[in-house]
Amino acid sequence: MSQLATFIEEKRQNKPILSMTHVVYGYPSVEESLSWMERLMQEGVDFIEVQFPFSDPVADGPSIVAACHKALEQKLDVETCLSQLGKLAKNFPESRIVLMSYLNPMYRFGLDKLAKRAAEENILGLILPDLPIEQSATYQAACKANGIDPVWLVTPVTPPDRLAMLASQASGFLYCVARSGVTGHSVHEGKAKQTSLDDYLAQIKQHANAPMGVGFGLRERDQIEQLIGKADIAILGSALLDAYNQGGQEAGIKLIKDLFQ
Amino acid sequence: MQSENGFYGQYGGSYIPEILYSSQQQILHAFEEAKNDPEFLAELNKQWQQFSGRPTPLTFCANLTEHFGGAQIYLKREDLNHSGAHKMNNVIGQGLLVKRMGKKRVIAETGAGQHGIATALVAARLGLECTIYMGAKDIERQYPNVFWMKQLGATVVPVTTGAQTLRDALDEALRDWSSSHEESHYLIGTSCGCAPFPEMVAYFQSVIGNEVREQSVAQFGQFPDRLYACVGGGSNACGLFLPFLDDKEVEMIGVEAGGKGLELGEHSIRLSHNLGQPGIAQGFATMFLQDNAGQLQETHSIAAGLDYVGVSPIIAHLAETGRIKMTYAMDDDVIAACTLLLKKEGIIPALESSHALAGAFKDAPNLPKDSKIVINLSGRGDKDIFNVAKAVEDETFPQFLTDYLASYPTTQNKGDKA
Ligand SMILES: Cc1ncc(COP(=O)(O)O)c(C=O)c1O
Repeated sequence: MSQLATFIEEKRQNKPILSMTHVVYGYPSVEESLSWMERLMQEGVDFIEVQFPFSDPVADGPSIVAACHKALEQKLDVETCLSQLGKLAKNFPESRIVLMSYLNPMYRFGLDKLAKRAAEENILGLILPDLPIEQSATYQAACKANGIDPVWLVTPVTPPDRLAMLASQASGFLYCVARSGVTGHSVHEGKAKQTSLDDYLAQIKQHANAPMGVGFGLRERDQIEQLIGKADIAILGSALLDAYNQGGQEAGIKLIKDLFQ
Repeated sequence: MQSENGFYGQYGGSYIPEILYSSQQQILHAFEEAKNDPEFLAELNKQWQQFSGRPTPLTFCANLTEHFGGAQIYLKREDLNHSGAHKMNNVIGQGLLVKRMGKKRVIAETGAGQHGIATALVAARLGLECTIYMGAKDIERQYPNVFWMKQLGATVVPVTTGAQTLRDALDEALRDWSSSHEESHYLIGTSCGCAPFPEMVAYFQSVIGNEVREQSVAQFGQFPDRLYACVGGGSNACGLFLPFLDDKEVEMIGVEAGGKGLELGEHSIRLSHNLGQPGIAQGFATMFLQDNAGQLQETHSIAAGLDYVGVSPIIAHLAETGRIKMTYAMDDDVIAACTLLLKKEGIIPALESSHALAGAFKDAPNLPKDSKIVINLSGRGDKDIFNVAKAVEDETFPQFLTDYLASYPTTQNKGDKA
């Protein structure tokens, strides 16, 4: 079994659901984002999903888009980011780091190099939402060679046969997008169709051997409680960023405690 | 040009978030079916003729030809389409496809506003809801078009992220589509984006080149020796060029926006001069203007419609294989070309199209007198009145604007009078 899946399985022995918190690398500054990650790990979150910013993050809503654009006012560098994350990973062995970005900056860095360097820095999973599985042969081979997991996404509108295919390919964990649309509160939200989350998760479970993470639009305790027994990880993105924007690290930590304790 | 699974060489493909997978597949299948359905094609032709005014003429320019003393210059008059640009060809096609798929809303992004207007017109005619995303900066530059979109019943959403231009509008349209794909179609205005959009838009625009084939033979007994088109996203260029791809004797020249200079941020040159780099963003692989870290960069052109960071994967591929030649025209040369056409031929060209003119005017004097060149006049220049007035430093225009503003019944002026 993959390192990531093993870690999740072990942690799940003592916890009904694990927490994955999202941080934009470099927002509002590189130093502050690293300090925020460190704080989250001190507080015992199980995962940090670190987003390496891209100029055109099309799967994200306004909070994350704004943070990425702000972060890009500085020169950001994938190599530096990876070694900084490596240090954190070493200092907090109870948590894991997953790197998320869009294809272009990672493609420029080199997908082979990315997989290798990520593995060296103890990053166990990679999320690239604009890379469809059909175009991913090189990337998958690089991940496999380095023992790290490419994380695939499924959504409420993924057709059943495709869902079965994606779920059966998942190794570290499967990212189950909770609703149609982009991340976070968004001007487009009203247009998104709501599906029955329970049915959707049950359907995925039929095909997935890997653990399941659920994200997009989570911001209330009820939502997290509803996932217990149906998923392994609850992923907190824009809601945490919004709290952080309003009241800094303290507000962010309070939200996590309200949701997970 | 047919793709291989959405790819043209190394460019193209479909790099979209998983949430859009089924909608993308739906469009793929709907388009495949539609283009093989005689009824759809008949309706398309009818709308092209009756709504947009096709076929557009091929106009010989005797004065310009004499002026340069070289090649014989012809213009393909896409400016005479309803709404004043080639954008209409594609919008009618996709609009009919939307009806066929049973969707009730269209989303579009627009730079110059030409595609926005064309989309709003067709949405009104076909009874579709319409939302147009436009960079806040482009809204300032092209307000008259925004005004008409609103009058046509479209919702125009200013996009204030990033550089507030076309690329940001495109990102925002993609985000809307991610949330609304079940009832909405993303009506892309150029031959970019995920498969099958590049192919589909090029297919609908190919009516341009198909007409030129017939018209050139009828008017001067042969195919043109050279074709010129401006390249923003690349749809008018695809439309003119693709029907001639196999006619090896026909040379094709695409003209990009040189803007103010060759520094990053001053131009929109992706293919000529090796200024773009291969990348994958906004749903597809192509040559993008980006830095070494893979972040897309700001672009500039005096013509808002050419101010795009990527380019059609079809054009990128044909440029790579050498079938089409790419060049660029600087803002100043573009204004000069625009002015020359006005004075010599009594035609008002769009600034986008004036890039094609500038590219052709550079070559024309050096070509044999019996050679024939066709320049695609992709749009008319009415929309550019403010920018052209500024560029030619017309002295009376600012006074006109001041006086007009003073006579305008704004709340403030009303207050002043009270
Ligand atoms: C008149 C005109 N010509 C050309 C273009 C460039 O687009 P494309 O390269 O897709 O033809 C535009 C885009 O808005 C336009 O309005």
